[in-house]
Amino acid sequence: MRKQSPVIGIIFWILVSVLTLFPIYWLFVISVKPAVQLFSTPDLILSDPYWGNYAKVWGDRLLRSYMLNSVIISTGNAVICTVLGFFACYALSRFNMSGKESIFFWTITNRMAPPAVFLLPLFLLMTQVYTVGEWKLLDTRIGMILVYCTFNLPFAIWTLRPTVDGIPKELDEAAYVDGANSWQVITKIVFPLCRPGLAVTLILTWVFAWNEYLLAATLTNFNARTLTTGLSEYVTTTGTEWGVMATISVFTLIPALIVFGLVQKHIVAGLTFGAVKG
Amino acid sequence: MQSKRLGWILLAPTLVILFFFGVLPFFYVVYVSFHSWNPFAVNPEMVFNGADNFRKIVFDTAFLKSIGVTVMFVVFAVLSELIIGYALAQAFMRDFPGKAIFRTIHTLPLIMAPIIVGSVWKLMTTPSIGIIPHYLEEWFGLTMNIGTSAPAAFATVVLMDIWHWTPLVTLTLIAALVSLPPDPFEQAQIDGAGKRQIFWHITLPMIAPAVVATVFIRLMDALRTVDEVWMLTGGGPGSATRFVGVHIFKEVFPKTNYGYGSTISVIVLYLTIVSCWLLYVTMLAPRSKRG
Amino acid sequence: MSFILKLGASALALTLASAAYAEESADFWKKAAEPYQGVTIRGVTESSPPSLYIREVLAPEFEALTGIRVDVETTSWDQMFDKAIKDMEAGTGIYDMAYIEQDIIYSYLARGFLTDLTGFLAANPDLKAPTYDEANFTTFANYFKDADGNLYGVPMEAFLKVYLYRTDLFEDPKIQAAFKEKAGRDLVPAKTHAEYAEIAEFFTEYGKEYDLDLWGTTAQAHTGHVASWYEYYESIAPTFGVYNWGIDANNNYAASVANGGAMNSPEAVEAMTWWLSMRDIAPPESPASTWTEVGTTFGAGRAAQGLVYGENAGWIAADAEKSLVVGKVGVALPPLADGVLADAEAGEGYIGYYDGGAFGMPHSSKNKEATALFLQYIGQNEVQPDWAVAAPRVTNTATYEDPKVVAFNDELGGYYDLIKDKGYLFAGAPAYPFHAQVREATAPIFYQILLGELSPQEGLDKMAATAEATLSDLGYRK
Repeated sequence: MRKQSPVIGIIFWILVSVLTLFPIYWLFVISVKPAVQLFSTPDLILSDPYWGNYAKVWGDRLLRSYMLNSVIISTGNAVICTVLGFFACYALSRFNMSGKESIFFWTITNRMAPPAVFLLPLFLLMTQVYTVGEWKLLDTRIGMILVYCTFNLPFAIWTLRPTVDGIPKELDEAAYVDGANSWQVITKIVFPLCRPGLAVTLILTWVFAWNEYLLAATLTNFNARTLTTGLSEYVTTTGTEWGVMATISVFTLIPALIVFGLVQKHIVAGLTFGAVKG
Repeated sequence: MQSKRLGWILLAPTLVILFFFGVLPFFYVVYVSFHSWNPFAVNPEMVFNGADNFRKIVFDTAFLKSIGVTVMFVVFAVLSELIIGYALAQAFMRDFPGKAIFRTIHTLPLIMAPIIVGSVWKLMTTPSIGIIPHYLEEWFGLTMNIGTSAPAAFATVVLMDIWHWTPLVTLTLIAALVSLPPDPFEQAQIDGAGKRQIFWHITLPMIAPAVVATVFIRLMDALRTVDEVWMLTGGGPGSATRFVGVHIFKEVFPKTNYGYGSTISVIVLYLTIVSCWLLYVTMLAPRSKRG
Repeated sequence: MSFILKLGASALALTLASAAYAEESADFWKKAAEPYQGVTIRGVTESSPPSLYIREVLAPEFEALTGIRVDVETTSWDQMFDKAIKDMEAGTGIYDMAYIEQDIIYSYLARGFLTDLTGFLAANPDLKAPTYDEANFTTFANYFKDADGNLYGVPMEAFLKVYLYRTDLFEDPKIQAAFKEKAGRDLVPAKTHAEYAEIAEFFTEYGKEYDLDLWGTTAQAHTGHVASWYEYYESIAPTFGVYNWGIDANNNYAASVANGGAMNSPEAVEAMTWWLSMRDIAPPESPASTWTEVGTTFGAGRAAQGLVYGENAGWIAADAEKSLVVGKVGVALPPLADGVLADAEAGEGYIGYYDGGAFGMPHSSKNKEATALFLQYIGQNEVQPDWAVAAPRVTNTATYEDPKVVAFNDELGGYYDLIKDKGYLFAGAPAYPFHAQVREATAPIFYQILLGELSPQEGLDKMAATAEATLSDLGYRK
């Protein structure tokens, strides 16, 4: 396999990419078709695009605030989950705490919960318990960041654990011998070595938060509404505005691509640590 | 070695957040699951009814059926994602021109929200006018109608899930593969081990924790799938794609059956934990000996 | 004309037209609102065009006039109910206004979730606007009143589910001749189910013969979405004489024939059988069609006739950006079985669905006074005509006479005339506080009938039994 010509590899990847891209291409096609044409015979090739939906979406001030909320909530949540998850993994990996394997398994059970019924207690907690005077946690960005931790923090811990476990303990010990303190070991030695795992975790937690719908739909009203809840506004009894929905999704690809672009090179950076020849 | 106190300090934020946003709501749900409670019943209050809900669930054919289709869905979708995802992750370990671009392309489906994925696939598969049924008909004379054919709807949902989530498997496995130390592989090659031997005896055991973690994540996410299926089929035709997530959603939202809905959720959560625990123990048992 | 364009245009028109009456009434609003300057009231609604009109046009106007800010959260149909229910159940007071649909009003009333607007204004005469009067509303407002006639919601959407047909096809001489030769009668909108079926079969055949994407009827027959359940119970069963889902509220909520209900009666079976036969000759997307797709199917010119929600009738008939059949749409009353029209005239039955919603005030609202002002504001006759043109809906009797609305009525093929003259024959949802509960319990069986897993008789028997069991569980059926 290793000796095959690169041409076959490229052809393989182009095929995979075409399959991957087709639904996204189709999303774009939907976004540049007037509603009239959506239910006529489909054409594979796009002709005579219509940009009305783009004008509509671009001019929508509410969508812009949704976009900002989404970016803040997903970025905040991803960073918090990745960092806290890394700390937790370091603790689980390096310290001989009693019951730590049970704790490790327990964390993931938080992600298993079917969300529909948990909305009610979360709603009650965030309106009646987690309040300071008139201020409620409901419908705030920080509230959503914390709520999203219930599924993203376990995810971060579980994806980072193998990575942190894989960093030889001898490295820590060598550093301690050289006089480093615990904080320095964690941040200067282990953290950088975990970069590929951290990058992947950051991307994926970001993606989960970015795409979450049900919790955001219930637990935000005016101030912290995210893009996915904005999208659902276009599903109505009068008809679903497929074109506008598709256009918004095309717009949402942009911040997502930026985040991916920023983080992806760290996955590559990891390759220097130990490449596998399979 | 170091003081355990530092360990607990590092773990504390995680435990605190999960307690306030995961454990407390969970207790509430367990509490409600022992009650009959529908705000639009004649008696809108919560009424304690012991284990009645749990007794009812055993004979609830709609629920049992939804468990059945969910398990089928999870097996088909997650297995395919694992196999394809691993193959692609391995392929990405090689160097080839345009690799960064291809990897970016491959991760694109992840950044699409499930409700959008559901919408696009719905438009692509609308009987007679969606692009897929249209060209199946025109090129191969096949009729595909996700409104009437349960297998077609089920297959579409599985394909959609594979399309959407294989990149996640690829990414986590890439992270695992790049972190592997090179020495054992070099040693094995020197010893003249074949590719298959290397995979079974070295690669797989070493990435097993990552594989298990990935399978877990996909497994539990597939069990909770709602948005995509909601948009694509609504659980239909009939109950062909009425997965537990969708089933619970219908029980809790339109039906406002909070009591019984909580019971179903507790049971589903319990089943998920048990199956994951079994998987965890069997897959990682050899590793734990290592200490 | 696109909705947004209309919105802009009518906002402008509104400011100009309202200048005259504003002079006198502005004083009232300013004075009444004085104590509530700077208050923000919040509402939750579905993002339908009438609601968007409130958010984009009426709310900003009201704010400019009174200094009371109005935030309207628009969301999807499923979410809207859940959010309002959670808020009102917990008494949180997030919302001052909630969209209440036909389907849910009786559930809310049963729980005392809403504020009695009639009573509230009587108790606070200072807040009563001179330009607001409950008597201005059409009969549709009756669906938001309790037994004593107190109003709990200001109507803001009202539609009929009507029989739409393609005038261009029905008036084509060649088609007329072909139909006459085949059927032995003239091609006119159907009055009976047999006529409707005959026309449907004719056009489906016609489409096949000439290789057109044309079928004889629409069918909202999704096999996994409650839209199909609604089409049958709102629009098909009543035309066969099965009213209120076949459940008898005065007889211990009986559903099965054995107990005195009609859910599995011979008429119900006949209705189901007829509807399934129509579904079979409808466009292939019908088994995956909700209200959205039925509208789009008709708008794309794929059906010669069909039952379509009034929400969609507007854009199908008049919005060239979304519809291919602009100016080619006629409206008529749905086909009926013998005796149904007489039942409806006598007030004992109905021939279809009078659909819509209102804005109500949750009992937990913390800004009731300011909210009452806004609700009166959107209920005034003066704001209605532009609203009716921007988002086809009529809630006040006077609106029908407005020149703008009269002109728009022609564009819509006489749709407003139909509401005005025949609206009384239609009815809203049955007065059941268990609407969604029984619907969800029976819907899975309903889908089995659609898929042919159960015959209509077997399926309806099972649905009746399930409905009764659910009603017993909930405590309504003793």
